[in-house]
Amino acid sequence: MERLLNIDRRIIFAFVFVGVAVPLLIDFSFPIKPTEPVQRVYDEFERVASEDDPVVLLAFSYGASTVPEMQPMSLAILRHAFSRDIKVVAICLWPEAPGLAQAALDQVAGEYGKEYGTDYAFLGYKPGLWAPIINMGQDFHDAWPRDTQGTLVGDIPVTANIRNLNDFNLVFDFAAGDSIEFWWIPFGVEKYKFAFSGGCTAVMAPDLYPFLQSNQLRGMIGGLAGAAEYEKLVEIPGSATAGMRAQSIAHLIIVAFILIGNAAYFASRRRGAA
Amino acid sequence: MTRDSMLFLGFIGIFVILNAILLVGGYLDMSWTSLGVITAAGLTVSLYSFLYRDNPLFKLAEHIFVGVAAAYIFGIYWYQSLYGEVVVRIFGIGDDPATMTQRLLLLVPSVLGLLILTRMSVKIGWLSRISFAFVVGVGAGFTIPRYISAFLLSQIEATIRPITMDVDGLNLLLILIGVVSVLVYFFFSVEHRGVVGGISKVGIWFLMISFGASFGYTIMARLSLLIGRIRFLLDDWLHVM
Repeated sequence: MERLLNIDRRIIFAFVFVGVAVPLLIDFSFPIKPTEPVQRVYDEFERVASEDDPVVLLAFSYGASTVPEMQPMSLAILRHAFSRDIKVVAICLWPEAPGLAQAALDQVAGEYGKEYGTDYAFLGYKPGLWAPIINMGQDFHDAWPRDTQGTLVGDIPVTANIRNLNDFNLVFDFAAGDSIEFWWIPFGVEKYKFAFSGGCTAVMAPDLYPFLQSNQLRGMIGGLAGAAEYEKLVEIPGSATAGMRAQSIAHLIIVAFILIGNAAYFASRRRGAA
Repeated sequence: MTRDSMLFLGFIGIFVILNAILLVGGYLDMSWTSLGVITAAGLTVSLYSFLYRDNPLFKLAEHIFVGVAAAYIFGIYWYQSLYGEVVVRIFGIGDDPATMTQRLLLLVPSVLGLLILTRMSVKIGWLSRISFAFVVGVGAGFTIPRYISAFLLSQIEATIRPITMDVDGLNLLLILIGVVSVLVYFFFSVEHRGVVGGISKVGIWFLMISFGASFGYTIMARLSLLIGRIRFLLDDWLHVM
């Protein structure tokens, strides 16, 4: 019992490594059922697609450290938008995000034959945390005068008629930090009352459920599991779906270790009492 | 030679041999992309080597990360913000459409920003207080009403909706019980005995469940990152997937 309670943590690491690596090498699948928050995001994009000349604002607020969770989500959302002929305006509120956003836009625009300027635009990064959100709510062209190529936003067809955040059919934030909770909702949604949804890392997800209940957040994709659910909804399995095999097996291993640890603890306590 | 030194040298040897096999076998070519993959694989394995023990490879990878990240972020700030939106607009470089009034207005935040740098001087450091006063004043002015609206009023409104006789109603009832019991738990002006003690115990249960959910989600997030790196190693580097 004592050996179980003092198990070398490197043994647990080895188990988790094997639990992640082996399912990635073997082809099998677990059923993926979209949850309500993810379904609500999908329904929002479907609503947008049914409107005239739809255009959405995608804010990339994540960096390299959360790519495995956030990039599959971005690709799935972009695929859904482009497949339904929704125009996309992309911005970054995190300094690390521009390279990742550019890569996602280039990849998916290429897949669907979308043209820069008429189907999508990329405006780059702006510092100031929540300040650009207030600025965008007042005057979008003043907040983002040019795109990343130096073209004036007034000369880009997809952004030419955007005056402020309310001109977007939907605003969506990919958040690795607290940008949904502390930037977009208080300074954007509450002030300007536009349709807003978000995707976040799994760490952030529990904090955002209250905003779903109050409808300040219309839908939410949480972590790799949420991305896999969205891939299921758009019927394009990607890296999130593949990752869920490893995720599930690793979770089982961790649950097993928690059970073993607790059983050993209670057994040793009983023996100590005796 | 210690055991750890042998492990360290053995790791470097295996890494070199593996890359040689991948290059000779045609899995990786002599391109900048492949060099990037090899570098990324080396840094990933070096960082994970910390799980065994702190070592020079981990420290090297850690310092490279800090340096690269700082330089990258500085580049983004400089080209897209400081140069792209301050220097270009104030000095009217290129075909910038800003009017003279807009240019003069930009001088105000620019000067305030420069004043913050005066903190480095003992003599004129007091000037930075002007900027900080502006930041604190504007920040509080913007933040307080927005936070009250977003986090208090909207949340209270969503919590005290009429309870219906369906699943949504049950959810709402649970939320209501949770909010009230947790608030009672954090109300320390009354001794937690009797009815108050009972309600605060319910609050503790709600708190424990929420901590558990947060911890579960955290494990999920960290595993997702691990999956991403292992996927990179197996697929992009070793080509075994």
